[in-house]
Amino acid sequence: MPDHRHLDLSTIHRRGFLKAFGAAGAAATVAGFPAIGRGQSREVKVGYLLPVTGPLAFEAQLALNGLLLAVDEINGSGGVKSLGGAKIALLPGDTQNKVELGNSEAARLIDQGAVAIIGTFSSLVAFSVRQVTEKGKTPFLLLACVADNLTEGGLRYTFRMQPNGKGMATLTVSNMLEMAKNANIPIKRVAIMHEDGNFGTTMGNHVEGFAQTMGYELVQRVPYNLRSPDFTAELSKVKAARPDLLLISGYYGDSKIIAETASKLRIGVNAVVGLANAAYSNPRFIAENRELTEHLFDGNYWHNPQSARSRAVFDAYQRKFSSPMSNHGVQGYQVAWVLKDALERAASTDRDKVRDAVARTNLTDHILTQDAIRFDDTGEGIAATPALLQVQNGKPVVVGPARFAETKPIFPVPKWKG
Amino acid sequence: MSGGLFLQAVVSGLLLGGVYGLVASGLTLIFGVLRIINFAHGAVMMLGMYATYWLWMLVGLDPYLSVLVTAPVFFGVGVAIQRIVIEPNRDAAEHNQLLLTLGLALFLENLALVLWQGDFRTLRVPYASASFFIADTLVEVPRLIAAGGAVVIAVALYAFLRGTVLGKAIRALAEEREGAMLVGIDVGRIRAVAFGIGSACVAVAGALITPFFYIAPDVGESFNIMAFVVVVLGGMGNFLGALVGGLIVGLAESLGAAFLPGSLKQFVVFLIFVLVLLFRPEGLFGGARGR
Repeated sequence: MPDHRHLDLSTIHRRGFLKAFGAAGAAATVAGFPAIGRGQSREVKVGYLLPVTGPLAFEAQLALNGLLLAVDEINGSGGVKSLGGAKIALLPGDTQNKVELGNSEAARLIDQGAVAIIGTFSSLVAFSVRQVTEKGKTPFLLLACVADNLTEGGLRYTFRMQPNGKGMATLTVSNMLEMAKNANIPIKRVAIMHEDGNFGTTMGNHVEGFAQTMGYELVQRVPYNLRSPDFTAELSKVKAARPDLLLISGYYGDSKIIAETASKLRIGVNAVVGLANAAYSNPRFIAENRELTEHLFDGNYWHNPQSARSRAVFDAYQRKFSSPMSNHGVQGYQVAWVLKDALERAASTDRDKVRDAVARTNLTDHILTQDAIRFDDTGEGIAATPALLQVQNGKPVVVGPARFAETKPIFPVPKWKG
Repeated sequence: MSGGLFLQAVVSGLLLGGVYGLVASGLTLIFGVLRIINFAHGAVMMLGMYATYWLWMLVGLDPYLSVLVTAPVFFGVGVAIQRIVIEPNRDAAEHNQLLLTLGLALFLENLALVLWQGDFRTLRVPYASASFFIADTLVEVPRLIAAGGAVVIAVALYAFLRGTVLGKAIRALAEEREGAMLVGIDVGRIRAVAFGIGSACVAVAGALITPFFYIAPDVGESFNIMAFVVVVLGGMGNFLGALVGGLIVGLAESLGAAFLPGSLKQFVVFLIFVLVLLFRPEGLFGGARGR
């Protein structure tokens, strides 16, 4: 809810203002001005940096929608109470997914008095922006950035609620291994296909690096160019290596073609599993490719389906934006509440106090598939974990970790076993 | 085992190469007649794919049957682009024409972004999962149809260029502009027709791959680049060279994927590209002249 007196003052025509001023009379001014002054102070500025135009515009908008929904909820339920009910005012920043714009927009938001910055969707931009926020001593809450190195280098002001690349890869694989063990079908041989950019390569490195400690053999690792129109030869190599499990870390189109060709090749694995895959738990992709996507697994950001609050949030999102909430929307929503919780405890808009409050976060009332949200010394979420999802009857459902599962996994998957 | 992998790579390489060939045929025809490098070729392909997608979603028209609609429509689109954008700048410097088509590509991609947003779409026909094995080699039916269709269309176009008066006029203009004018060929019209045919070719190629591919505003870019490699390989303006070049590039990519480590398959393709430019700049089969 915007404070209309405040808005009026900034946009009103000078003559119109004088007229209104005159009509109100001298008595009103005495009472009026202090009220406006109070209105201005009862506002906490929070900046966001998202690529809301450019190639990632569509996905960034979904994340922003989650953020907007949370801010609406916060302001609608009395704002930040420890700050006298101060409302959160979002300051927009568009990065267009460009590093230099990310930096200049971050500096601008800090100049304009943002107590914290949320963003930036892409790891590349975040990697650079974190230097700006560090210098400006402004808390920087990462939204949907997965690269491991974002919290490296002894930064004080950067925090990441969600799992990083390492968590995404190793926890998804360990969820799969545990599930396989419960089904008495141990997984010994693992293959991975990943796109050859920063994201896929990071995933591939972790799957390779943790093979020994986690007790499997990496029998084939195939990096690929995500614009390639055909993966038959690559998948034939994978098939020849006879893996028990095929992991795929990719974007949308490539992941579609790979799943399609893998199924036709009768790849012979127990399961095909996405690692933070852009397609395999995407409701639209599943709706458009029903038979192909059935029983695909994916380790990804998700919400806790068991929580009543998350169901209410999904309903509210549907009402507000007339579309189902995406996993990036969940991230945007939750990170705003993490900040709100910190502001309550800081009871101040001093950036250092807010930073310390974020660092001491212990938030149990959240909608993610994990224990309380807390941060370690580097700013990484301690309990951050991806959910293990499986498409069942045309819907992605949580099948792991076990205590958040909606239903039992179907494993091994008959159609991949071929 | 390795023999099986080799066979699989050859088969899937040829299937993909057929599509490359059809995309490149359109590009080489436009280059041969208009002497411009059309960077907007991939963007027209993308539009063809969206047209196929919407015809399927809204009217339920099968992607292969939709070719009957997209081919004439995109012939018209090509003619319009030539008349409105290219023709007025025909006497401009070559690099200006290059920038012009590049700008057109950016315009079309961003238009698609505005109209249909940046998210990916996939179209799934009931027979999308049809496939069979010959020995141990997988043949995906939609890819087979795409490659077969591409070759049939390319060969039909070749026959058209050889056997009809209009086709001969197009070839005449490609070979000798002033000579063509002197014998009374309406070169303005022929240029528009050539651009129209080239655009129809690439739109049809887009329609043929839609059943096993995905659709996004920048989907044409990778095909665009491959088409340039193919055109250089086959000889700028050489029609048959484009088809054969497409098959060679498809094979190189697929064999590279099968036998080289990592994602080096496109390295092979571009290595061939550079070698051809260095040692046989007129292309493996010669340029447009004398065809």
